[in-house]
Amino acid sequence: MKLTLTNHTFSTLLNSSLINLRRPFCSSSLSSSPSTSFKPKVPIFLRPPIYSTKLSDLKKWHNWAKNIASSIGSSFVQSDNGPDSTILCRELKWFIEDVVEDHHSVFSHMGVKDNDENERVKMRADIDELYCLWKQRIEDRKPFQYIVGCEHWKDLVLSVQEGVLIPRPETELIVELVSDVLSKNDDLKRGVWADLGTGSGALAIGIGRILGNGGKVIASDLSPVAVAVAAYNVQRYCLQDKIEIREGSWFEPLKDMEGKLAGLVSNPPYIPSNDISGLQAEVGKHEPRVALDGGIDGMNALLHLCDGADLLLKSGGFFAFETNGEKQCRELVDYMKSNRSASLCDLEILADFAGIQRFVIGFHR
Amino acid sequence: MSYFIRRSQPRITITFSSFLYKLVGNLSQSDPIIPSPTLFSCRHLSHSIPFFSSRNGYSHGLSPIRVRFWASQPAAAEPSTSDGLTVQQILANNWPILDENDSDWKSHAMAIAQSIHLIKRRLQWKKLKVRLDMLSAQLNKEDLWDDPVLAGKINREHGSLLGKMKEVNGLEEELLEHIEMIKLAREENDAELELESMKALLNMRRNAKEKELEALLADEQDSCSCYIEVQAGAGGTESMDWAAMIMEMYKLWAQRRGYKVTVMEEMRGEIAGIKRATIKVDGEFAFGYAKAEIGVHRLVRISPFDSNKRRHTSFAAVAVIPNLGEASSRVQINESDLRIERFRSSGAGGQHANTTESAVKITHIPTGVTATCQNERSQHQNKASAMAVLQSRLNQLEMARQAQLNAQHTQSFTDITWGSQIRSYVLHPYRMVKDLRTNYEVSDPDSVLQGDLDGFIMSYLSASLDKTEDDA
Repeated sequence: MKLTLTNHTFSTLLNSSLINLRRPFCSSSLSSSPSTSFKPKVPIFLRPPIYSTKLSDLKKWHNWAKNIASSIGSSFVQSDNGPDSTILCRELKWFIEDVVEDHHSVFSHMGVKDNDENERVKMRADIDELYCLWKQRIEDRKPFQYIVGCEHWKDLVLSVQEGVLIPRPETELIVELVSDVLSKNDDLKRGVWADLGTGSGALAIGIGRILGNGGKVIASDLSPVAVAVAAYNVQRYCLQDKIEIREGSWFEPLKDMEGKLAGLVSNPPYIPSNDISGLQAEVGKHEPRVALDGGIDGMNALLHLCDGADLLLKSGGFFAFETNGEKQCRELVDYMKSNRSASLCDLEILADFAGIQRFVIGFHR
Repeated sequence: MSYFIRRSQPRITITFSSFLYKLVGNLSQSDPIIPSPTLFSCRHLSHSIPFFSSRNGYSHGLSPIRVRFWASQPAAAEPSTSDGLTVQQILANNWPILDENDSDWKSHAMAIAQSIHLIKRRLQWKKLKVRLDMLSAQLNKEDLWDDPVLAGKINREHGSLLGKMKEVNGLEEELLEHIEMIKLAREENDAELELESMKALLNMRRNAKEKELEALLADEQDSCSCYIEVQAGAGGTESMDWAAMIMEMYKLWAQRRGYKVTVMEEMRGEIAGIKRATIKVDGEFAFGYAKAEIGVHRLVRISPFDSNKRRHTSFAAVAVIPNLGEASSRVQINESDLRIERFRSSGAGGQHANTTESAVKITHIPTGVTATCQNERSQHQNKASAMAVLQSRLNQLEMARQAQLNAQHTQSFTDITWGSQIRSYVLHPYRMVKDLRTNYEVSDPDSVLQGDLDGFIMSYLSASLDKTEDDA
């Protein structure tokens, strides 16, 4: 999501940023001009229902899909904490919801044996594609969100695809934290916010919808795929006037904002490099490594963000970062406190809904 | 000789031939103008044909015949046909009710008479008459208008009750008119008239059935959508399998009725079936019908989970809660009273995990009431749905509390909770489903488990009317 570089250049970049920790703008050799060439995929549920399939064929596919889902049992759970049959069957139901135009009546026919053999249903994807996609879901462990091309996140339905991190439910909390801050501070509500490494644009859109008149979000991402997908999502929620997408690494496209930001949020890559190989297949095999790998201790991007917050936030500005857990939270807070200027204050560590200390928040002095 | 057609406005004066005069035998008095006599609320059957539209079906220049009837004098004798047939007698005859397509006037008449009977029971007919007499007496008092507010109140209630009574009497009268016409047509060998009259009678039968349903489902919450919860009883896998069968039965039933079914939560058994599940049933009168299912359902069968093929008895409890919707939320919920738990897979979470599982469980701490939702696609939606369930449960709890305070309703309070055993499903050694409340029974359990529940529901609903009447 954040960077589209080979692993080699990625590590070079990380090394350089490690060395230049104190330098807020890690200059990248990549161009920061938005690429217009990439066209994001349209999620299945938004495609026109141009395919007509016999209900009996759909049922046949459904039975086939359900059988493989059931055959999985808890084997994925045991191997890498992946989904079990119950979850897969639920996903299958959602899949049909997205694919079939009139899914309510189809569902009521699914269990009934004797309806008209020639009855047809309108679908948003070809039946052959359904076979192919479900096979990818089960055999390749491709994330369900990539199969249907969207993720339901908060009250939003965001388009996602390979190359873009699927927003996590934990991250929803950042929008709630921002909402709390905004409710107490009208000035921040009208200010400029930044979401760095925006990916699908989830945080930017979540925040863009709660900002007041004049409030604005700048969302940056290094990946042209992410930039295109985020722009598509912003457009779907008609927030083009509120959210500006800029292509580039971290703060690089925000050089004009020094000392001006009302708020800064990010869900940067934070998984330690050594943990990547052991990740759940859906994550490790399919999601962009640049959106996950945070370097040896997973802290590379987070430390970089701290330095940027120091420089870009205006007085009284708010920040919230997502981390890997308690250890990173503490290290991050220590790092902020030890900073010479100690410009970041009112630091707080907050747990996610699972009780894992997940977020570091605070204000600029 | 001129007659007034009852209740027609403007009143139509027509002349009958002499044989009709003989037939009718009596001169009727026209009705005084009263407040509009719409009585059964028409909330859900706005498409239904106005009740008296069937009267337009007559040709021959003959308008329906006025039978003996004094609407403004409710205490007077029952209406009857020229040969003395009354609605009560039709009921007592117990003519078999055949399919609508069988053109048998006795069958139609019996069906209509039963509908009328049920509507009367719903209105608590005897009580209504007594009350009306009392109000009439008060209206005749000379000092009535000394207290204009009270007088207005009495006047309004009198008008409303009189309207109800007149509409039911109108039904009885219409039924007898149709019968009279058919008899007459036969006497005169007038096939066309007979056909017309039969059509009119069939129309009336359909309308009366709709009126009957309206009368059955007249409680405030009956028109609401609802939640149906099924909980497996003790007995492990066998009971959990039974709970899943029951849940399937309700899903199929709801689909037959054209309701939308959404699974809100489902706790699966380790080997088979469900420990507990909640579905949301959306559609008009979902609660009105489904409330008939509240209670414990018992199954007797050779357990497929018993390698020794022994007979097992299992239980599953069913609860039904009306979904009053946001507009009518009764209980104010404080955010601070809630504990919100989100289910998660074990592990590091965050970027480490990709899961579509985002179940939410909300506990209302002061009451201990909980609600879970797991089938929505985001945590946000799951939370919203769980909140809706919680709101409904708290509303239900509050209503039960108020009902307890209100002695009049203590009877129904026990019905709101999980309740006692209501129905038995026997698959072995014989096959039968029997409702213990109404003794309604069916010898084909498969059809019932496929969702064919309306017979049970209707018989229960009309039986509960009897109960209300007895209580009254």
